[in-house]
Parts: sequence; structure tokens; C-alpha cells
Amino acid sequence: MRNLLSIAAFLVLAGVASEAATPRVDARISEFARLPDWSGLWVSATFDVGISGRVKGGEDELKAKLQLTRVPPYNADWAEKYQAALQDKTALALRASTFKVCTRSFPAVMEAPWQFEIATMPEETLLVFENGQVRHVYTDGRSHPAGDDLWPTPLGDSIGHWEGKTLVIDTVARSASEPLAPRAWVAMLSEGAHFTEHLRLLDKDTLEDQLRIDDPAALESAWTLTLRYQRVTEMNRMIPTNCTENDRNPVVDGKMLISNP
Amino acid sequence: MGRYCGRDMGRGDQRWFAGLLACALMWPAMAHHSGAMFDDKVSVTLTGTVRQFQWTNPHCWIQVVVPDKSGPVEWSVEMGSPSQLFRGGWRPTTVQVGDKIVVVVHPMRDGTKGGLFVSATHEDGTPFGSAAR
Repeated sequence: MRNLLSIAAFLVLAGVASEAATPRVDARISEFARLPDWSGLWVSATFDVGISGRVKGGEDELKAKLQLTRVPPYNADWAEKYQAALQDKTALALRASTFKVCTRSFPAVMEAPWQFEIATMPEETLLVFENGQVRHVYTDGRSHPAGDDLWPTPLGDSIGHWEGKTLVIDTVARSASEPLAPRAWVAMLSEGAHFTEHLRLLDKDTLEDQLRIDDPAALESAWTLTLRYQRVTEMNRMIPTNCTENDRNPVVDGKMLISNP
Repeated sequence: MGRYCGRDMGRGDQRWFAGLLACALMWPAMAHHSGAMFDDKVSVTLTGTVRQFQWTNPHCWIQVVVPDKSGPVEWSVEMGSPSQLFRGGWRPTTVQVGDKIVVVVHPMRDGTKGGLFVSATHEDGTPFGSAAR
């Protein structure tokens, strides 16, 4: 008899719990349903890389497409610093000829040859890159961390919200020690740089990221860029890459070599 | 690109640095590392036998043994990552040990036996891989 009462009590409680949970679950399902479907693999339209590992279309075409390697609209002080840094051609040449890129800071990761997936959830959107980097964009209504809870990192801190089918991303606290992009070694921003992105689907195979950079300490005016991504149609799964499995390009005495297998 | 990206880049004057910088900055194509080590103005055709095909990150490699008057010479041919090769229709079994191969490379500037992959065919001229990316 006691067992029967226990079972009955459990069923009643379970029913109450289920009643209470259902509205929340339904609400979350509705939130999911409102999100755009950006599933699949994406890659920057700037980098059409062939099996050689090189971009096809030639250097001039690539140079014309790359945006983060252009000179930012610096104010007079930062323009002077930028030009001075360019004068150290020896250091610049050494860096340019021996660099290895395994990860990128933001915003360079958004103009990179790596494929990525986008996971949209009500509380967060993840941008997962083939080199293992992940951008976390929190969309649960939170603010950026305050005070000691926030410090500069290569990807910065990102929060976002949805405006229809457009994800608006707000990023702060990007490390000032990071160059803007590989091959833009002397192009820097201050730690006060503020990034606003509008990420949206233009058509089923094209994503667009309108990026605005505000940095009153370094820039004369806001810097706006439009980055495009195309759907990868030749494969249906992400194949991770990394720099450590079989790196046969050691740098010895300032020169990059090929080591024997 | 100026002539300093070519074989006469080793001259020890200030132009060397300017040339190297120009080469490096105009080789923004590599996913993993600078491409300044390769001479993109020179193409070398290697005809030989595959000793090894490494399907690895960050680069795949073809080890090709090429007959030479002084004896067989092994070249290391650098390619893209497995992801890039897969997208281009290649698989880990696309190249087999013992395959006779004709591979075109941009050679190392320092003269070592290595180069950047440009293209590859079987001896009869048929390409490796199933897609032409």
C-alpha cells in the first residue's frame, strides 16, 4: 500500500513538473524556430584555396580582395606610428618570410582561409573554425563583463542580439598587442577598439558580415568593411586542421626550411 | 613582382630586404606559413616514383624519388591541408607508394630538394584526384 502511495505521489509530482516545464520548452522551441538556418560549411570568399594550399586567382586578385591588410583610417598620431613601424624593413621582412599562422585574433579570423560552421541557439551563437578556434557570441541579453571580470584577449568579448534574421555582434576587449591581420604586422588598434558586426544571409550560399571598427584613440573615423563568405559545396563535414601534427617547416637562423620526413 | 623574387635574390644589398619583403607580402596565399621560401617564378617538373604520401596537418606531402645522373634524389613536395585536398577531390589513397608521377613544383629558393605543389599527373598524363580545384 505504501508503495502504491509513493508511486501515485511521484506521478502527481511528475505531472506538475511537466506542466511547469512545458511552457519553457515550448518557448525555447519557438525561439529556435525564429533563428535563421546557417548550417553547413562556410569559407571566406576572399580565400579560394586550391590543393597546393595557395589561393587561386593570383596575388594581385587576392591583394585587391583582402580588406584587413589595408591601411586603417588612422588619426595623425597613429598614422605617424604606423609609418615609423613600416621603416623597420629588416624586421618586417624577417617576420613576413618566416611567419606561421595557427590561430588568428579577431577580426582577422573573419578574413581567413579556414572553413567554419555557425551554430545558432537562442542563448548563444558559435562560430567554429576548422583550426579549432571558436567565437562565442552570447545572445541571452547579458552585458559585457564589468571591471576585473573583463580583460583583453585575442578574440575579445562578444555579445549579440537578433534584428530579424541579422545577428548584431558587439565585441570589445581585444588585445592591443595583436596585429590587425597576418601580413598587416604593424597595423594595430588600441584596447579601446569597439567592433560592431551585422551578420546576415544574402542568399542561400552567401553570408555577409558588415564590420564597423570604432577606436577613438587610433582612428580618425569609423572603419567599415564588408566581408563575404561562400557556402562550401564540395564537402559535407568539417575536417579539422592543426599546426602540430606534422610540421615540417622549421625556422632556422631566420629562414624557413623543409625538414625531411 | 620584381626580379628580386627570382633567383638573384641572394645579393647582399639593401634591395635584398626590399625584395624579400615584396615576395613575402605578395605571397599571402599560404594557409599555414609564409610562402616566401618558394620561388613562384620558377617551375620544375619532377618525374619519379612516389616513396610516401603524407596525409597530415598542417600540410600533406608527396615524397618523390627522382632519378639523377648522380643517383636517385628525393624531393619533398608540399601541398595544402587534408581539408583543402579533400575539397579538391583528393583522398588519402589518391597517391600510392610506387606510383609513377609527374609533379610540377615551385622549388625552394635555397636550392634544397623541396618545392610547393603546382600540379601532378600520372605518367600517362591523367590527373590525380577527382575534382579540379
